[in-house]
Amino acid sequence: MNEPTTAIRADAEIVENRADGGSTWRLRLRVDGWRGYRAGQFAMLSPGPLTGALRWDPLLPRPMAIYRVSAPQAGDAAQLEVLYKVVGRGTALLAGARPGDRVRLVGPLGNGFPEPADGERVIVVGGGTGIASLFAFACHAAARAPVLGLLGASTAGEIMGLEDFRDRGIPLRTSTEDGSEGTRGRVTDLLEAALAEPATSRTAGGPASARATVYACGPTAMMRRCAEIAAARGSRCLVSLENHMACGFGVCLGCAAPLAKEGFALVCRDGPVFDASSIDWAGLP
Amino acid sequence: MSAAPRVDAAVNLGGISLRNAVLTASGTFGYGAEFAPFFDLHSIGGFVAKSLTVEPRHGNAPPRIVETPAGMLNSIGLENVGVDAFIREKLPAIPDGVPVIASCFGTEVDEYAEVCKRLTGVPKVVGLEINASCPHVKSGGIEFGQDARLLGSLVRAARRASGLPLLVKLSPNVTSISEMARVCEGEGASGISLINAVLALEVDAFARRPVLRNTLGGLSGPAIRPIALRMVWEARRAVRLPICGIGGIATAEDAVKFLLCGATAVQVGTANYLNPMAASEVAQGIAAYAAEHGFERVSDLVGALESPPG
Repeated sequence: MNEPTTAIRADAEIVENRADGGSTWRLRLRVDGWRGYRAGQFAMLSPGPLTGALRWDPLLPRPMAIYRVSAPQAGDAAQLEVLYKVVGRGTALLAGARPGDRVRLVGPLGNGFPEPADGERVIVVGGGTGIASLFAFACHAAARAPVLGLLGASTAGEIMGLEDFRDRGIPLRTSTEDGSEGTRGRVTDLLEAALAEPATSRTAGGPASARATVYACGPTAMMRRCAEIAAARGSRCLVSLENHMACGFGVCLGCAAPLAKEGFALVCRDGPVFDASSIDWAGLP
Repeated sequence: MSAAPRVDAAVNLGGISLRNAVLTASGTFGYGAEFAPFFDLHSIGGFVAKSLTVEPRHGNAPPRIVETPAGMLNSIGLENVGVDAFIREKLPAIPDGVPVIASCFGTEVDEYAEVCKRLTGVPKVVGLEINASCPHVKSGGIEFGQDARLLGSLVRAARRASGLPLLVKLSPNVTSISEMARVCEGEGASGISLINAVLALEVDAFARRPVLRNTLGGLSGPAIRPIALRMVWEARRAVRLPICGIGGIATAEDAVKFLLCGATAVQVGTANYLNPMAASEVAQGIAAYAAEHGFERVSDLVGALESPPG
């Protein structure tokens, strides 16, 4: 099932929280009462484990992409996985949490990726931590459409979840800025090359065509470049935006993203997935 | 094991009957529906809706929020759907029996009065809260709540525009909260809510510029609780008006402190973001505290602070 469900608050037990190669961490939570989600949705996690004493600092929950959720096994709760890097105090505290600790989770949140259309060629473009937002969708889409995964990072070992993508048999091309894995350069170079290939066969992972849709997540500048490349080729581009958040469910109005027409959308409620052409990229911080 | 003694949790805030002392703060609870997945809205006293203006407002450009020690700054810019759309679209979606206090804002006194007028007589709206301060909205200049004369003219106009119970939400960015409380009492307010967010600043030391696009923002969260508590305590000594205490309340214990200092009711704000069930848990906890400490009515806690010995 790939449908959004009503968000829950769960004080989820940590099953596993380990270094996952490079600077990536893999967190697995048992979530009682989990009803399902759509690929591309996210959850708000407390900045570190819940402790017996109340802690007000760091204060706010952190938005984390839902990497994947394994279905409940007989009598047990669903297990939700998050891949993350330590980028600040909240993630540093999270990295110190141990199995048995509890983390407050509110989710699933956001809109998630739309279903690929019939005959669509799916190109998933992940840069850095943005890769974590794309794995569930890539797996889901691969059952329905030809999927090509373009994954890039600064160096080998920093391409999050690379082995998971390979294990699922998703056709991949990789890039690293230092050339230690895959092509030397940026993942946007891979996208340009993929969309420039002449349209021929419809085999999975084969050359892209104008009926390709690009699904991108990564640094803002990267997503903006993907949008430009896709537009130049007449391909639709969907992006999963990141933003600082406080509530994550549409109430604080903090995560505003400027729209091309006028006004703002909320990344948590109207996104995080947006059609790239609807965004005022110059106004995004 | 004996049954827990029954506690009367109901309070009356300036003419507004509430089933318990817990409301949620304007701008932290949307228009109510967003919290339906997390708890039954009938378990709290009611909520204060996002501040409404005559015309819809888009709000400020991002970044609008930043976390600070035990708190956060916000510079949302009063993004709201406008009073007419609120009445037409948002109110019908609120379950029956959930009291709504409508928060009113304007850049000029006339605009406030117009918003008050349009909300009067509308179903489910049991009272109005005048947002006399917004630390981050440029138009409007000085906060109404920072100037006794401006504040007086605002409350007077709102009082004229509507017969509903009228709360005035005071700005903490003043020298004397007591003076502002007295102005409200003098102009016929039904009660006062305090405090709103504290004017504050965060900068990025590496980008070497302010974090918020609008530069200044309002500080909220546990960091301001001692300031808010002090101001409630001062206001209680200055006026006889009912007080709704706001500022960093995250637990029932926090809420009880405000009641003891003289608040009739409280609002939970920023804590809703850390814990969507916070308001409901605070309401339950206040009743549990009252039962445990021998208070038959929650209202008996109001102003029950004892002086230090000696």
